Parts: sequence; structure tokens; C-alpha cells
Amino acid sequence: MSSTEQGTSSAAPAEPTTAPESAAAPEVPESFYYVHGKDKVVHKVSAGALQHSALIHGMISNLGYTEEQAKANPFPFENIDGDILQMVVDWCNQHKGKPTPPEDTNLPKQKEKLFDLVLAVNYLEIKELLTYCCKQVAMMVKGKSPEEIREIWMIPTDAEDEAAEKEAKKRAGKEAAGETAAAAGDAK
Amino acid sequence: MMKFLQSFLSCWKFPIQGKLSKKSKAKPRNGFPLLNLPRVVLLECIENLDVLEIIIFSFLSKQAKSIAKLINWTPLNIHLLYGGGTICVRLKLSTAPGLQWIIAYTNEKKLSAYPYFHSYLTGPEVKHCLVLRYDGNTIEDSKHMAEHICEVFHSTIDGIDIGQESQIEWLIKFQPTIRHVSICDDVHVSAKTLDRISKSLKVTEYFGVGSIATDEEFQITGPIPSRSVTIDNSCWITLPSILNGTNSIIRLNESKLTPMDINTILKEWQKGTKLQNLEYLEIKTSPVDSFTGEDADNYTNALFHDLDLTESADDDERPLTVKIDDEFEYTLREVETMNNLIRSDGMIGSIFEIIGEFERDGMLLCFYFQVWRKQT
Repeated sequence: MSSTEQGTSSAAPAEPTTAPESAAAPEVPESFYYVHGKDKVVHKVSAGALQHSALIHGMISNLGYTEEQAKANPFPFENIDGDILQMVVDWCNQHKGKPTPPEDTNLPKQKEKLFDLVLAVNYLEIKELLTYCCKQVAMMVKGKSPEEIREIWMIPTDAEDEAAEKEAKKRAGKEAAGETAAAAGDAK
Repeated sequence: MMKFLQSFLSCWKFPIQGKLSKKSKAKPRNGFPLLNLPRVVLLECIENLDVLEIIIFSFLSKQAKSIAKLINWTPLNIHLLYGGGTICVRLKLSTAPGLQWIIAYTNEKKLSAYPYFHSYLTGPEVKHCLVLRYDGNTIEDSKHMAEHICEVFHSTIDGIDIGQESQIEWLIKFQPTIRHVSICDDVHVSAKTLDRISKSLKVTEYFGVGSIATDEEFQITGPIPSRSVTIDNSCWITLPSILNGTNSIIRLNESKLTPMDINTILKEWQKGTKLQNLEYLEIKTSPVDSFTGEDADNYTNALFHDLDLTESADDDERPLTVKIDDEFEYTLREVETMNNLIRSDGMIGSIFEIIGEFERDGMLLCFYFQVWRKQT
């Protein structure tokens, strides 16, 4: 397994900063966790940044890992492409401990990337980012004609839907027939 | 319905039929397969669309329509407007008071210009329009459009301007209870249709009938259920229809009600057994070509016969506006003196004007009565 450790983006320091002396209570050192996507590239992310993800937050809330244990057990997200996970990590770092603005203009403009990002964000349960993504998806069709919307969102026509449904039924029928034949063969 | 769908979509240059074979061969690359998103996410995306975008999306396919229907939209206020050669479906949201979305059918531009979006500001209201081409079938198209919008937004039609008799039967079948109906001037409405309206259509807020053309004698004796009624050639409205109603606002033009009928209305109102909700009554007769001073006296005497009237100066407390419908308030005239009836519950019925108005075809006799209460 090739695993490359990557630091967090410049917006979020990799190591906790020293608390100023004037602070009343000493700050608890920030804990870090590690995640990787399909490409196995490991990203180091602070617990604060990961709080955006309800899924990961739920996973780590009771772990009580030491830094070493966390490093040794990165959370695997094999269903998320490496570049998409990088985007998510960057977003979480940029918005760590900050109120989220009403709009986010840094989302990918390429439709395929945005689609993958939406799926990842939904899976990771990052509510605010999902809200931005959904707005961005809706913005894609601003001022577009019905046929343009059909093209952009790949909406099949009724005839295409019917053809696909027929095809699926046909396939299901064939599979069922195959299973019956196999079961009969087994019985013999 | 399929034909309507095609005409709606074909406006955008690509007829469905022509597009089928091409699309089934090759999917566009670099698309965003919206329908492959998890259902919750898909719905959140759709929720961010504008009203007109939702409508366009829901027309793309049966699947798209069924998805759009899953969302719990704020019900739309839907009004079908007709006038000046234009048919519009006007949409409003209670949550967005300064906004209107309009689907308009016009034929002012070249075919190739349609459809188009445009937005404009009128007073404090922003109007976003989707303009479609007006063709011979536009009344049918507007009906289908209204049905479709009602289904997608789980809404009912709030009001309709009837520009063609066929819309009435459609309305009775599609939505027999409605808040606002206005039958436009010059619409030919048969006696049979008027009878259908009186028996099968319940208009709850405002029922307006312009100068319609009827083919035969028709009279209505049952009540009209609307709060507010304005009827231009009201010869078919009879005294029992008025007396048995619970209307608040009644405005009749070209009425065949006699001064004795009006006298009966006033007596019944004062007794408190009928017309308890009445706020404003305006009755104008058909033009009379020769009308003398003696006729005027006879008219007034018959109207005032045996009424317990008190004459008074106009009162500052008498409201000078009446609400005809949700969008129209009528301003009444101030007068020097008026004749009042007092009901046992303290309501004052003021006959504040009886005047003759000269029109092209003769003189109209106009009677104005308002019910109000003094502040304690």
C-alpha cells in the first residue's frame, strides 16, 4: 500500500499553535486524525475541521485515540476519489470553527467533479457543504431552456425511461430464468 | 396532454420526436446525472430552483414530474388571467409578497423569438415572465398548464378570468370550488352554461360577470355563494336570488329589479332575517330613454315606501372604501345627506345616493346602499 502523508492546507496549521500567555485557561492540544480516499493518499485533519462531517465526528467522538493510534488507523473512504476527498478536507479546514458564509464560490465548476463532490459530501454528512453544492447544482440551469436543462442534467425522455424499464425487466426475467435453471440443475 | 407537452417543449426549437433517436444513441458528455443522486440530495437540489424552473423541470418527463411532486412546496396562488389578446397564468407565493411569476402567451414577436424569459419591476413588485407563443390552442394550453402546476405544487386555482365558454365546463370538472371567477366582457355564455354555473360551480370570494352575450332568456332564483358579486348585464338575477344569498358586496348593472324589489331588500335587511352579511349594495337599471321628473318621484316613493328612515348628514365614521376582491378596493363618494335605516343590532344601512346617470342609450337609475356601524 503506497501511502503518502499530506499536511493540511495552509489555512489550518498542522500542529496546534501555542496558546498566548494571557489566555485564562490553557488550551487543550488539538487532536488530529487521518483519512484517505480511493488513491490511498492520507490527509491529516484536525478534529475541529472534521467536526463538519457528522459521519466522521460520530466515528471519532468516542475513540479516544492517541496521535500514534490515529496515525496508524486512517479512516478509509474507498468510495471517494482522492481529489474529491482533498477538496472536502480543504473545505473543512477553511471553515474550521468559522460561521459558514451564505454562499461558497469555490465549488468545482466541472459537472462531473461536482457530482462526485455531492456524493462524497452527502456520504460524509457535511450539511453546510451539501447545501452549497445543491445550490450550485440548481444554478447550473439558471436561464436555460428545457432542452438545455435536459442536456445538463441528463434527464431521459419518457421514451428513454420506458425503454430502460423494458430492458431492466427483460434482464430481470433472464436472470430469474437462469436462477431457476441452475436450481433445477442442482436438484438433479 | 402529450400533445400539449410537445408544444410546450417544442417552443425551445427541439421537438421531442426529433430528439428521441438522436438522444438515445449518444448521451451528452460532461453532463450532471441529476437523477442518479440519492433521493434526499436530489430533492434538496430541486428545492433551490425558481418557480418557473420547477415548472420547466417538471415538464421534462413523467419521472421529473413525479420527483418535483415529492417536494412539499409552499402552495402557489394560481390565477388564470385573460385580456387584451393575452392569456397568462399568474403565480404568487404567500412567502414572497413582492414577487410574481407569469407564464404569458403572446404573439407580439416573431416565432423564432419564443419562448423567452424576461423580468420587470412594476411598483414594488418584481415580475418574472416566461413568454410562450400564442397560437390557436392557447386556451387549451393554459388549461393544461394550470392543471400541471396544480398537480406539481399541490395547489388549487385561486382565480380565473373566463375568456371562452369552454373554460367554464373545464373548471366545473377540474375544480368546482374556487375563490375568484370573472367572466370577461363579450364572452358568449349560453343559458345552459349559466344554469351549470349556478348549480355546479361554487365561487366563494368574488364572482364577476361582464357584459356577456346569452342566447336565450335565463333567470336565477337561487343564491350566488360568493362574498362579492359584480354582474354587468344582470337581468337574469332575480329578487329571491338576492334575498336568499349571504353576499356582502352586490353590484348589479342593467338590473331588472324594480324599486319595489329594492324596497323589499331593504325591509328584509332591516328585519335582520335576510342579507345579514350585506356591506354594500349597488343597483343600476337598464337605460331608460324617456324619463321624466314624475318617473323619478315615483321611483323614489316606491323605493322608500313604508321604510323607517332617518335623514342625516354624512358621517365621518362611515367607511369610504369597500373591498370588492383581494386586489380591488372601491372608493365611495362622500355625500351631504343620506337616509339611514337602523337594524336592531345597531348596524346602520345608509342609502347614500340615488341618482340618474345619462348614458348613450338613456338614463340609468343608480341606487347605492352601505351598511356600517358607529364606533362605540
